[in-house]
Amino acid sequence: MPANSNTFMAALQAVQASYLAIRDDLFQALWETVYMVSASTVFSLVFGFLLAVVMITTGPHGLRPNARVYRSIDMAVNLLRSLPFIILIIAIMPLTRLVMGTGIGTTATIMPLTIAAAPFAARLIEGSFLEVDKGVVEAARSFGASRWQTIFMVMLPEAMPALVLNIAVLAITLLGYSAMAGTVGGGGLGDLAYRLGYNRFQTDVTIWCILLLIVLVQVIQSTGNFLYKRLR
Amino acid sequence: MIEVTNLEKSFGSVTVLKNLNFTIEKGEVFGVVGHSGAGKSTLLRCFNALEGYQGGSIKVMGKEVAALGREGIKTLRRDMGMIFQNFNLMARKNVFDNVAFPLEVWHTPAQERKRRVLELLDLVGLTDKAYQRVQNLSGGQKQRVGIARALALSPSILLCDEATSALDPRTTITILELLENIRKSLDLTIIMVTHQMEVVKRMCNRILLLDGGECQGLGQTEAFFLAPTPNVKTLIEDEFTLIPGGTNIRMWFPREISQNSVITRMARALDVDFAIVGGKLERYVDDVRGFLIINVDDEHLEKVLNYLQEKKLFWEVMDDAS
Repeated sequence: MPANSNTFMAALQAVQASYLAIRDDLFQALWETVYMVSASTVFSLVFGFLLAVVMITTGPHGLRPNARVYRSIDMAVNLLRSLPFIILIIAIMPLTRLVMGTGIGTTATIMPLTIAAAPFAARLIEGSFLEVDKGVVEAARSFGASRWQTIFMVMLPEAMPALVLNIAVLAITLLGYSAMAGTVGGGGLGDLAYRLGYNRFQTDVTIWCILLLIVLVQVIQSTGNFLYKRLR
Repeated sequence: MIEVTNLEKSFGSVTVLKNLNFTIEKGEVFGVVGHSGAGKSTLLRCFNALEGYQGGSIKVMGKEVAALGREGIKTLRRDMGMIFQNFNLMARKNVFDNVAFPLEVWHTPAQERKRRVLELLDLVGLTDKAYQRVQNLSGGQKQRVGIARALALSPSILLCDEATSALDPRTTITILELLENIRKSLDLTIIMVTHQMEVVKRMCNRILLLDGGECQGLGQTEAFFLAPTPNVKTLIEDEFTLIPGGTNIRMWFPREISQNSVITRMARALDVDFAIVGGKLERYVDDVRGFLIINVDDEHLEKVLNYLQEKKLFWEVMDDAS
């Protein structure tokens, strides 16, 4: 069937041409996305961890319950999580400029991404810690372990498998957020799809971006699942 | 070793321990017995400051627990090992690391730590399982790990919180034997919280009976079971279906009497027949004790009771309800 085979070849050539045309843009955007997501994941984990440790310690059944501290942090976390990300980016622009030296560009977006994701990370980490068997924590205390020792030698290692899965959730959420980074010139796959694919009607660019995003999500989730199985 | 006076403890407005007074001597196995929710485990946790208390005093080795600062509590906990119903081991670590944990907490040097852990694993018979993950162990083995861990810091008191409640009867016995051996060899004082009467009888020298946070009895284990008060009875009694008609008499056998064949002797002396309805022989710490329930026809009742009285035996006429 020469007719069919010709159409197929033609389609393949079209795909190839479209790929070659935007290859450089695509890889630039991919790199920006990976950069934004990984940096903000790391930063939001650091801040989220600190918040989570305070929440775990001061929480109702914590190692040193303190209702006032817990409720303040709890409320702050809920508040930050209810702000739409796109609003947050613009609202904290002055702060971003102050901290990062610039309000626009890929690096600048790490700031709003971190601030948006840290409370989320805090909740996820708090959740993983709360899953740790209370009895194991009690046992640690019964041998004279201090609060720090209980958190770092018992709760953290015991929570590790759940934590790893939650980090994958966090990174995927940040991948979604990062699509909005274009607003402040952050670039990335989302931005590329919007600028070229949507505004300039280059549907093939949109499809390339979506394909890469699908792959990224898969890679993150599979890595999480793999590590979870290894750690359990 | 431990001196408790007028102890009161409450969670918010709920009183969980009330007016408790007792002392625990060095080297004894002291049982805290009661139904679930009686406050046993809470009482145990007051000893090592896992729980605070609102009134009265607990003195452990002369020191008031409530008055201890952070370092004082750490030291107190080093002197009191604790084992748990659900073992409470770190599921992701192996046997060795679990036992080594208290030593790590106390910054024991790695080499010394290894020596001590291997010594402890030898003591509880788990040397060959040292590098297995605890998840793969049986219940009895997990509790052995728990015991080794509790002994890591060479405590003088061992707190057991329902330590055998999650184990089958046979494993329970092996764990109790292990506890008994280490008590003797390490000169430990053991405080056992339990609702299992077999455990109490086998292990405890003295017991405190708790109900609703209040003391319902305190004394030698033997006395509890040989002459139970009504409170004790509801807790410890096994149920027997009694034959209707006639009178049921329960006879208790302390050591001196259980060695004489009292029943057959009575039958010969009185020339009376009676049915044996139920009975039980049990091990109490080191002795075998027991009771027997006999059913006597009403016409012979007086003769039998007179005989029992005369021979100074322990007995009671059972009412139909029991």
